[in-house]
Amino acid sequence: MSKTDKLFPKLKEMVGEANVIQDPEKLKAYAIDGKKPKVIVSPGTIDEVSKIVAYANQQHFIVIPRGNGTKMGMGGIPKKVNIILSTNRLNRITDSDSENLTLSAESGITLSEVQDSLAKLGRGYFLPLDPPFTNQATLGGIVATNSSGPKRLLYGAARDLIIGTKAVFPNGDMVISGGKTVKNVSGYDMCKLLIGSYGTLGILCEMTFKLLPLPEKEATLSLSFGKLEEADGFVRQLRISQLIPSSIEILNSIAVENMKYPRSMPQNGNYLVTVGLEGVTESIGRQVSEMSEMGKKNGVLETMTLDSDKHRAFWIALRNFSQGLSEKYPNFIGLKSNLLISKSGEMLGNYERIARESGIECAFICHAGNGILHSYILPGKNFRSRIESFVHFIGGLTSEAVKNEGNLVVESSPLSIKKKVDVWGQSRSDYLMVRRLKGQIDPAGILNTGRFVGGI
Amino acid sequence: MEREKLIEESIKIVGKENVLSSETDLLLYGYDASLFRGKPDCIVLPGSTEEVSKIVKFAHEAGIHVLGRGSGTNLSGGTIPTQGGIIIHFSRMNKILEIDIENQRAVVEPGVFTLALKNALARYGYVYQPDPASEKVSTFGGNFGENSGGPHCLKYGVTTNHILGAEVVLSNGEVVQVGGKSLDNPGYDLTGLLVGSEGTLGIATKLILRIMPKPEAVKTMLAIYNSLEDAGKTVSAIIGDGIVPATLEMLDKLTIKAVEESIHAGFPLDAEAVLIIELDGLKDGMERLAERIMEICKKNNVREVKAAKNEAERMQLWAGRKGAFGAIARLRPNYLVCDGTVPRTKLPEVLAKVMEVGRKYELSIANVFHAGDGNLHPLILFDERNEEELRKVHLAGSEIMKLCADAGGTISGEHGIGTEKKKEMLFVFTPQDIRAMEKVKRAFDPEDLYNPGKVLPEVEA
Repeated sequence: MSKTDKLFPKLKEMVGEANVIQDPEKLKAYAIDGKKPKVIVSPGTIDEVSKIVAYANQQHFIVIPRGNGTKMGMGGIPKKVNIILSTNRLNRITDSDSENLTLSAESGITLSEVQDSLAKLGRGYFLPLDPPFTNQATLGGIVATNSSGPKRLLYGAARDLIIGTKAVFPNGDMVISGGKTVKNVSGYDMCKLLIGSYGTLGILCEMTFKLLPLPEKEATLSLSFGKLEEADGFVRQLRISQLIPSSIEILNSIAVENMKYPRSMPQNGNYLVTVGLEGVTESIGRQVSEMSEMGKKNGVLETMTLDSDKHRAFWIALRNFSQGLSEKYPNFIGLKSNLLISKSGEMLGNYERIARESGIECAFICHAGNGILHSYILPGKNFRSRIESFVHFIGGLTSEAVKNEGNLVVESSPLSIKKKVDVWGQSRSDYLMVRRLKGQIDPAGILNTGRFVGGI
Repeated sequence: MEREKLIEESIKIVGKENVLSSETDLLLYGYDASLFRGKPDCIVLPGSTEEVSKIVKFAHEAGIHVLGRGSGTNLSGGTIPTQGGIIIHFSRMNKILEIDIENQRAVVEPGVFTLALKNALARYGYVYQPDPASEKVSTFGGNFGENSGGPHCLKYGVTTNHILGAEVVLSNGEVVQVGGKSLDNPGYDLTGLLVGSEGTLGIATKLILRIMPKPEAVKTMLAIYNSLEDAGKTVSAIIGDGIVPATLEMLDKLTIKAVEESIHAGFPLDAEAVLIIELDGLKDGMERLAERIMEICKKNNVREVKAAKNEAERMQLWAGRKGAFGAIARLRPNYLVCDGTVPRTKLPEVLAKVMEVGRKYELSIANVFHAGDGNLHPLILFDERNEEELRKVHLAGSEIMKLCADAGGTISGEHGIGTEKKKEMLFVFTPQDIRAMEKVKRAFDPEDLYNPGKVLPEVEA
């Protein structure tokens, strides 16, 4: 009996037959970059996760964690795909403590489910994270990939919101870090190490987050500008003011056209700036009027305020932009640049220029308060013949980002592109520590091998 | 290596005037703000990253321990050279390298005092939010090593939320950049891992900090109570009502007495407890929130709520809070500060138990702490010349940590584990958890040269 043949009965013994998929037809849907897994296993408890991982470690099977699969295209090409460990059955809220403003939940629950449950609690609460696809994305996937959204400007990212984790390490140990208190310096902050580690150090099983009460009021201010300098001028003025927006986005017209939200630009409008506002009721009206004035000073063409339903629909469409795009352009390439905040607008302009010069159509969405610029290449016809030019274009944007103390990560792309670029951008001096940590914690290299920086 | 040879080699790297090795020097660098003592072999004052790297490289080759030090305000014995070695003192690396308003970042050397940066930022109308009580002298290297807190961390988060990158000298002398001015750099969040690692993983030689515009408005209130329990309940009630003020600090009767005798902050001497509640942000709606807070205070039997009428009155209240530890030092020759943290709703219950521990060991306990964060600071007063009392202090300290852990909390919220709380790590972690941390230590410092014997208790392999 081969090593693999022994694996199936072993897994069934651990989690029960119903929670192991080995039907080759069904497995096809789980392939990552064309590599099909041998088996999908869905543990129902942390203890079961621990047993599976310990066994895989002993037998040298590569384990890839998976929630609802919204991020399986991210990262480098996996070395091998042996076992996909699905967190679907780890989907409980284990402690919802609104009085302490904390929530603990297992990794397989979707963020929307958590938000729905919190909204109904007492005066209404929320977990202040707004990454893409909250209806499908699970907490585990969001945290493992450090996924964030526009509201990060006000509330921070996973690293600012997580106060405790339970994770299964490659040797099968269930490792607890942090806890339920908002302040904690007991031992190393292993939570930070796990956030954004793409499942290469441990399988996130349960996390504790800080919560906030739902804001009294929310609104969105949407301003269109003809020139990028004007849009950027407005954003700069807003950034150094004492006003407190929850998000500041700059979109180019191609992004606006491709967003699943009926917002048409006025004539001569080329850039849309949207500002999210939330807080005490009195603060919203005043901020809207001051920001509108700022818009006028910077040559705004049209200013609109979106309330309640429209406001919500707009931000969902913006967050889920790539999903809408993939229906129209299944081969689209999604890039994320992290930049100096002050360079956000200027870099958008540089990227546009390079795109124009390369004859490439590109949508841009910039979290201008945080210096995160998302670029989406919309490939026209003859994708194959244009691969080289796309690769060249990505290289051009990467060096532009690196020149400005940033970097560029390819977040989604067809395999043909992945084969030709390092999706993680320019290598960094601290990768030597990344490798040493991986070597200590996962010496056999069984967790998500090949998909993270430096090919670890 | 012979101590003379070690000193000689150090002099070659930084020059004679920057190596300290007299008996007096060794004594001065052998203690911090905890109860522990140790003795280094020598103290080296480097002037650049390159010099730090050279010292560390030399120490690595010779197998000598290395420990970074700023102002020595550490409260858990983290800066004590318990196993000798070289102390790298950062007093010469004390420059603010850059204030980058446009990118909302500041870049500093590790020896810069927290308050020095704040004062420099004030000119631009900007702030660095974390505010450890020792900010007048606490250095950024120390803040980085300990993940320091402070009153305003309730709303803005602790040091780790405000350090975005660093230049770090590894234990073999190599220099790496972690994080950066921009967010989300690819790779593990090594900055996040290094912050709070108490000098056991790496030594920072440059830090990139998040700075932000000063809030438009601020409102500071003093709530006065006839009962400690009512003050504790108010804290839970404010948070439970969905209000997260900028600060929510508590001082008890003994602390009030000490503060009034030395600082005259205006706290009434007959009160059992006071809360300092501060709101900040946009001016809109702030009065309404303040009124809501006052109502909550009233529901919890507050005696009186006073609002600071101007900046001078506000500074007066804060002087009382920030000078509290110093004031308490006037009551008895020594004190031990505990740092246990609990979920906020557990505060009244845990406070009562803390006072019980004091009665059990016949020790006076003063309380001054970050109530909004659930971060307690019972100060146990004693005289270290009384051995029996000292023994009881250690037992009481450990017992307080245990009761915080049992209430679903932890043993340290912001002061660190250091030498003092190693054993108690097992109140909150399993040997498995500790073994995972050991792997991190081995990845960074396989020879165990950086601040050895701190943080991690020994567990079976």
